[in-house]
Parts: sequence; structure tokens; C-alpha cells
Amino acid sequence: MNQSLLMLKKLKEIVGDKWVITGEERRLYGFDGLTAVKKEPEAVVLPGNEEEAIKVLRFLISEKKKIIIRGSGTSLSGATVPVEGDEIIVSLTRLNHVYSQKGLEIEVGPGIANAIVTKNSPPHLFYAPDPASYQVSSIGGNISHDSGGIHVVKYGPTFNSIISVRVLLPNGEVEEFYPSPYFNLTSIFIGAEGTLGAVLRARLRLFPKPQKKKTVIGVFNSIRDSANAIISIFQNGVIPSGLELMDRNAIRAIEKSRYRAGLPDVEAILLIELDGEETQVLEEESRVKRAITENEGEVIIPNEDSRFWNARRGAFPAMGTIAPAYVTLDCNVLRSDLPDVLERISQIAKKHNVYIANVFHAGDGNLHPLISYNPEDFDSFVRAVRASDEIEKFVIERGGVPSGEHGIGIEKIKYLGIYYNEKEIEVLRRVKASFDPYNLFNPCKMFGGCKGESREERVLWEWD
Amino acid sequence: MGMGLEEEVLKCVHCGFCLEACPTYVVTRSEVHSPRGRITAVKLAIPSEGIETCMYCRRCELACPSGVIYSEIITRVRKPNVIQKAMLSLLERPQLLPYFIRGEYAKKIPAKAEKPLEYRDKNEELILFPGCITSVFFRNTVEKALAYLKNLGYRVRVYNGCCGLAHKNSGELNRSKELIEKLKKEFEGKKVVSLSSNCSAHMKENGLNVFDFPEFLIKFDLPLPKVERKVTVHEPCHANLLGLNKYTREVLDRMNVTISESEEPSFECGAGGDYFIFHEEIAEKVMTVKKEKTLKSGVNTVVSTNPSCSLAFLKMGLKPLHIADLL
Repeated sequence: MNQSLLMLKKLKEIVGDKWVITGEERRLYGFDGLTAVKKEPEAVVLPGNEEEAIKVLRFLISEKKKIIIRGSGTSLSGATVPVEGDEIIVSLTRLNHVYSQKGLEIEVGPGIANAIVTKNSPPHLFYAPDPASYQVSSIGGNISHDSGGIHVVKYGPTFNSIISVRVLLPNGEVEEFYPSPYFNLTSIFIGAEGTLGAVLRARLRLFPKPQKKKTVIGVFNSIRDSANAIISIFQNGVIPSGLELMDRNAIRAIEKSRYRAGLPDVEAILLIELDGEETQVLEEESRVKRAITENEGEVIIPNEDSRFWNARRGAFPAMGTIAPAYVTLDCNVLRSDLPDVLERISQIAKKHNVYIANVFHAGDGNLHPLISYNPEDFDSFVRAVRASDEIEKFVIERGGVPSGEHGIGIEKIKYLGIYYNEKEIEVLRRVKASFDPYNLFNPCKMFGGCKGESREERVLWEWD
Repeated sequence: MGMGLEEEVLKCVHCGFCLEACPTYVVTRSEVHSPRGRITAVKLAIPSEGIETCMYCRRCELACPSGVIYSEIITRVRKPNVIQKAMLSLLERPQLLPYFIRGEYAKKIPAKAEKPLEYRDKNEELILFPGCITSVFFRNTVEKALAYLKNLGYRVRVYNGCCGLAHKNSGELNRSKELIEKLKKEFEGKKVVSLSSNCSAHMKENGLNVFDFPEFLIKFDLPLPKVERKVTVHEPCHANLLGLNKYTREVLDRMNVTISESEEPSFECGAGGDYFIFHEEIAEKVMTVKKEKTLKSGVNTVVSTNPSCSLAFLKMGLKPLHIADLL
């Protein structure tokens, strides 16, 4: 028996035959929410519980196999895409248990879907981070990407909702990191994209559900006015629980999709959610309305809030109605830079002849230009990536951050290279090496260093 | 790939929003048994076990923000095996079903097969369509529905046949269409009331003018008894896709029946038509999940207007009831 067959045999002994996927079916795990690069892993293993996961990972580490930890496979940066073909994907989707719930805490396995956490919490509490994929994306993946969502503006990204994690380190040891007033070791695993080990459990923070929620919609005939209204909402002392912007191109995509909500065909819509105690929400509502009208916007108070929010949540996949694929960025800018940045994005779209829809977490300056392309037309892909390159450069030059919540993955490797200088990258590499000296966990991600075989990879990893 | 099929496959942007809506994904948590995995298998043209394990509940279509009509993909790439083929041809002749549901198969089905009720008034104006499974396993429900309609003065014919949903599910698309055509002729000029909600949905989707039983009660504002009872409501999957389950709730409301909600009433029951006979392991896991969700209502009487769902509830040890059973 050759090396590979022996390894598969051993894996099957741990998890059972049907939970090791080989042959053609392994290709179903060849990509995630980033579809530009389609590769294949050597095999996929789905351990059924924490004990099996530990055995599988220790065995793979002892064999010096490359390991990609995967959850629901909704990463938009390609964090779970196998690049070199000899990686083993370890899917932790079956580790989806709720271990305990006490006070404002809930302890869960990494495979549980974000939305299921709130379902398993007492009715007066909720889990705040809510990426658009919250119905399906896993907590393990949310932690590894430091996922954000609509509520980030008030409740913070995943980082603010993690109390502690239990991880399996690349040396095979299982460690539980508790909150610490000194070095906070939990923090380094948040946003690590599976490069430092595997999250086996997490204790999450729950927030009390607000007494009242109110949605205010602002409709604008100029994108600059809408961006100015955002700034003045904060200047008026309001921190909304959600503040989203959808531009005309996003509105049109949504209206073509099954999330259509009868949105007005205007330059920009702001969706503002206020939450808290009743009198506070009332006061905030009047201030927000003022901020909208003072910036030439029109206020709408919807009868049915959920229609607008569902439209917003469906905006990404609704892009499927424009073209079969899209590149998306998630760079952060200062709110005060929004008017200039949005104008620049529309110039870049014209220059590269691409359809760019903006639908994003405007309250925390977290942009989401969705740049359409057709996978059958390589040139359209190149144009989409070149447009993203220009947007990222512009944003980073103005003090922005290359990724706010989707991660670096394989998508934004070169942007990390302009955000940090060489010395800083060197420090990050040393951190990675001290955890994972053999570079087994999610190689090729974040820092790159792998050779792109496909033309798509080369376009993503190399500047024009 | 044929036209149409390719178009649907390309609409999928691989977002994964369908995953937790899919009962086989929920119990396996494997991409292989997920709608996204199945579509990808078709896209990459690779053989995959997942094509066979789809329960065809189409809940993924409701979850899909890109509007992929998944049923148009899966039904074009699956083919029935010999036993399934034999089963399909039996479903077309419910009268013969009791003679064949024996031995191993009878053990897997928690209700006894009886001969379908045959009834026809002169110059009938209304066709009561039990659906093949209802006609054989829930004859009592058919009798109650017939008695209720007769009592209101309708001249009724009970038509025992198959709507072709099972054929479509198995990929027998031509036969499925033929059955619809056959029904179209039989139904011409008459009111048709169906006792199987998923069949009702399938016939409606294929252009037949039929009423689901609860829908008929509401639209014709028929007299309903008051019933002191507490139940939970199951929403059969295909009926849910067309929004038919609201009529069931409205009928129960009018009858003063107390509805205690379960978790996710539209979650797949686990029967998947005849799926539970051929894929026992996954079906049983789905039923376990469904039972847990159902019992969150605190009651074990489940109003289910679709027969294979009712069989699933019997298998779980719960008490399924059709609206007609309450009349």
C-alpha cells in the first residue's frame, strides 16, 4: 500500500469510511464562496466530534500533511481553497454542538451555524455578529475571519463577542485560552484564518435583546449626499445598530432577484437600524431623520422592516442575476472619506468597464464593492481584479485597511503586501512560524509564498 | 448539458445559503449531501452519491437568493433504479398497491395498505383526488372527506390515481408529464379537490386547476365544526413552496382548534415520498430532527395534509391528522 492509501486507511479508522471523501467527490470541496479559483484537495475528512477531530489532526500533523480547516465553506476570500492539491481538508461542520449556556455566555462547537447560536440562547439574549451569511456560516469560520456584519457598527465584529477558545495547535496540543489581563492569547486566533491551528470550541458572549428596534430609510439622488448624511448621523451623537448603504447598481441587482422589495430606483438608499431603550430610540430617530433631510435625502419609515433588511442580506447572492460571478472587496475607510472613495470607485468602474455594485456596512466604513465578471470570459475576470487592485490601492493610500471582515485568504495576499511594510510582514511571519514551524496549517493563505498554477491565481497574486 | 439545465447551474454563485435549509445537509453536514454540492457535481460533471440522496423537498429553492430552480437541475440528472421504476408504475395503479406492499416493504411502512375507496355519483361535478398514497394508507381520511362533501350536496367521484410528482422526483420527466396530461383530460370541466397537499402543489405547478382540500374549504367558505383540540401544524414542503399551508392554518383557526407552534414547521418530515424506503439511514436521521422540532410544540398531534409526511409522523410515534379527519 502506498503512503497516501495508508493515510486514508488510518483516517477512515478514526472517523468511519463514509466520512473520508476521496475520488472525484473531493472536488466538491475545491472552492468556497470565492469561486474564481477552483482547485482540489487530496482528501476531505469530516470528524464526527471533538475527540475524532483531535485524533485526525494529530495524525495529519504527525504525517506532516498540509491541513485546511473548513466550516460551511462560505469564505469570500478563498480561505479554505486548496491551492497545491496535496492539502487535506478537515471539515468541522459536524462539531456543531452547544456545550453549555450560562448567564451571558454560550459554549459551542466550531461547526454550528451563526444563526443557530441565537436559536439556542434564552429568548432575551442574542449573538450579535451577523455576517450576511449568518444563516449558514459557521462560528469557527466567523472566528477565523473575524467576521463582521450589519451589527458591527454598534456591537463590534466577532472579536468583541469571543470570550475564549479551545484550539488544537500545530504541535498537536489542545489548549484552552482564558481571558487574560496580560497577553490575551484568545485574540490571536480571531482572524487567523486557520493558519495557527484549529478552533475546537468557543465561548461566545451574548447581548441582551434591545427593548425596541426602529428602522429608518433614507433615499438619496446623489451618492455624495448619502455619504454626507452618514457622517452627520454620527456627528449628531447617534450610534445606530446598523447603517447600510445600497447604491443604484446594488438596488437593481436586488430588484431582479427573489429578494426584490420594491426598492426605489435611486442613487443611494441608507438603511438605518436603531435599537435600545424606547425614549433613546425615539430621540435617535429624530436626529437621524434630521441628518437625512439636511443632506437632501428623503425619509421613509417602512411598515415592514424585514422586507428591506432581507433585501440587504440577499444583495450579495443577488448579484447572480447580473453575472454568474463577482469579486468583492471589504476594505475599511474612515467614514469621512466615504464621499471621495465612492466617487473614485465609480470612476474606476468606468475605466475598467465593469459593473460595480456598492452595498456595504457604511456605519463602520466597511466597503463592499461587488465587481461582476463572467467566469467563461477570462478578460472580464482580469478587468474585475484590476479594478479591485485600484480600489484597494486608493483606500490603503488614504489610511484604510485592506480587509474588514472577509479575510485575506488567497484573494487579497498582494494587498497585505502594500498595507504592511516588509519589516511588519516579517514579524507576522515569525509569529506564524513560532506556532506552525512546518507551515502545515492553511499554507499559501494570507502570506502567499505559493506559486500560482492557474492564470486566475496569477492575476490575483500579481500586480498588473 | 442541455439548454436550461446549464442556465440553472450557472445561476448558482456557490454562496451556500441553501445549506441549512437542506434536510440531508442538516443531518450529514457534508457538502456531498447539500444542494450546493449537488449543483457543483453537475457543474463539474462528476458522479456523486449526493444526486441520489436528495429528498426533493425543494426547501433550497426558498433559501436561494439567486433564484436557482434546483428542481430543474436535480430531476434532469437522476434516474430511477429497477425497484424504484416498479414502485412508480405501482403508484399509478393504487388498486394494486396493497397486493405488493408486503414483506420487507410492509415492515418499513407504519400503516396498513388497504384497497382504495371507489365511489362515483351520477353526473359528478366534483372530483375528490386522494393521491396514490392517501388512497391506500389513509382510506379512512378519504371516507371522511367524501362523507363531508356528500353531506353538503356535492355529486362526487373519487379518482384514484397518481399526479406524477414521484416520477418527476425520480427523473422520469416524460412519464410525469404524461400523467399530468391524463389528469387534465379526466379533470376537464370539474372542480377537483386533492387530499394530498404536495400533489396539489405539483398539479398546480403543472397548470392543473385543482384545490388543496383546506384551500377548498376556505375559498368556498364551507361550514366547519368547532373542535376543542390542541395540535401542531406540519407544513408539507411542496405545498409550502406555493404558500398553500396558510389555508390549513385558517381552517384550524375557524374551527377554534388551538395551534401550538413547533420549531420550523416547514422542515422536511423525513419521508421524502418513498425516500424513506430506499435511504433509510438518512431518512431516520431527518425524522429524528423533525421529531425534536415537532415536540417543541408540546403536543404530539400533528396536522399533516400530505400522506408521506403522515407516514413519517407515524414512524416517529406521533399522531398525524388530516384536516378531513377533524370534520
